[in-house]
Amino acid sequence: MKITALLVLKCNPDGSDPIILANASDVSSFGYFQRTGIREFIVFVGRTVAKRTSPGQRQSVQHEEYKVHSYNRNGLCALGFMDDHYPVRSSFSLLNQVLDEYQKSFGESWRTVQADVTQPWPYLTGALTKFQDPAEADKLMKIQRELDETKIILHKTIDSVLARGEKLDSLVEKSSDLSAASQMFYKQAKKSNQCCTML
Amino acid sequence: MPVKSAQSSYRDRTHEFLNVAEGLKKSLNSTSNGHSSSSKPEGLRSAASIQSEFNKRASKIGYGIHQTSQKLAKLTKLAKRTSVFDDPTVEIQELTAVIKQDITALNSAVVDLQLVCNSRNESGNISVDTTSHSTTVVDDLKNRLMSATKEFKEVLTMRTENLKVHENRRQLFSSTASRESTNPFVRQRPLASKPGASASTTTPPPWGNGSTSSSPLFPRKSMDGDTQPLLQQQHQQQHQQMVPLQDSYMQSRAEALQNVESTIHELSNIFTQLATMVSQQGELAIRIDENMDDTLGNVEGAQGQLLKYLNNISSNRWLMVKIFFVLVVFLMIFLFFVA
Repeated sequence: MKITALLVLKCNPDGSDPIILANASDVSSFGYFQRTGIREFIVFVGRTVAKRTSPGQRQSVQHEEYKVHSYNRNGLCALGFMDDHYPVRSSFSLLNQVLDEYQKSFGESWRTVQADVTQPWPYLTGALTKFQDPAEADKLMKIQRELDETKIILHKTIDSVLARGEKLDSLVEKSSDLSAASQMFYKQAKKSNQCCTML
Repeated sequence: MPVKSAQSSYRDRTHEFLNVAEGLKKSLNSTSNGHSSSSKPEGLRSAASIQSEFNKRASKIGYGIHQTSQKLAKLTKLAKRTSVFDDPTVEIQELTAVIKQDITALNSAVVDLQLVCNSRNESGNISVDTTSHSTTVVDDLKNRLMSATKEFKEVLTMRTENLKVHENRRQLFSSTASRESTNPFVRQRPLASKPGASASTTTPPPWGNGSTSSSPLFPRKSMDGDTQPLLQQQHQQQHQQMVPLQDSYMQSRAEALQNVESTIHELSNIFTQLATMVSQQGELAIRIDENMDDTLGNVEGAQGQLLKYLNNISSNRWLMVKIFFVLVVFLMIFLFFVA
């Protein structure tokens, strides 16, 4: 479950090529010589997908073994290159977060950008590493996972409580036997303590 | 007792009937004898009346279980025979509600019966046979109720499966605009994926021709066409495969939220059960404590007795008294025989 790249682009409504605002990619899984090629490929595919994503729309496109998820919000488009196992919902919530963060840090200045921005945006690279685990991005998944763990723990607790109940049952029996035996003991002692039998 | 004679076929209740007849005879005899030994016939009568009361209730519960199982058989027949067109949904739902009510009422009645049986077992004056008989009766009723509940559950699952199969068939034959969109396999056709204006709000399954049985199990809720895009794209130059998402984003979120909610419900159930079990076991702990206190008291008393005994034995006072008496007796005999 890997994210290969995250991009933020500005989409023009007139249909020209989108402009890259931020780019973070993790190409370490490829050979050294393929890396630049992969980066360009990511840029190109990202531009194409973003061009065809209309504002307010979410899309997922399958390309070879990657899924490209794109979310266009009022002309600002976020893309993620993920593999097939990454849950779709988490990827979209991740893209949401990226967009929110971008708007918070850059405000509206991105609207005036005309050429590709080449400086890296540290948040995006951090996000790329942090969100390799889909549970981080998607609170719902995290909650569901924790709830499932809690349920397992509770099942074990109930099993142990049942065992405890059985042991308590046996303890009750033993203690009642013990009290009966001690009562017999007392009676015998009292009986043998009677006077006038020592004759 | 006309109710008892209408029992389910295989149970032999002559033993209970004889008990009831005996009880009635005893009560008749005691009233005719006057109030001479009032306590004894009253005791007998109360025992017999409690026994007959128990039998009456047990017979009522058995009859109720029999009726419920008959209704269940009718429900099974109805659920099995559903065809696509004339679905007796209303009757089935009514019958289900009635059966559920019956089962809950029978459940509480069986619990009451068990309480009566236990309380009667606490009070003395009864034979071992009666207790074993009443416990067997209660266990039998419980088992029958449990099997009836299981059958009910099976019928309900079968009914939901039938409903699902009908949904599939309906999907296969009718293609209304609100349900299905065009065939997702026609990739090259440019579908206008206009935001907010998409005609189909639920997305069709991406694989399989038409709708096979597995895919309609995905949630097919129709959402407001706000931001629910159909996700398809065509790109002839780029050799890209299109995978339309089987559920749109909002639907999957709604599904996840529902899952979370149901998990939380289950957790709350588990917690309540846990609390019940722990409180029940708390009583057991209290009993154990009392038993141990009794034992302690008994053992201490016994120890005191033994100490007293030891004192008595180790002291010489009694011994001297006894020797003195023996000497006196010998003296008396000696004196009487010599003098």
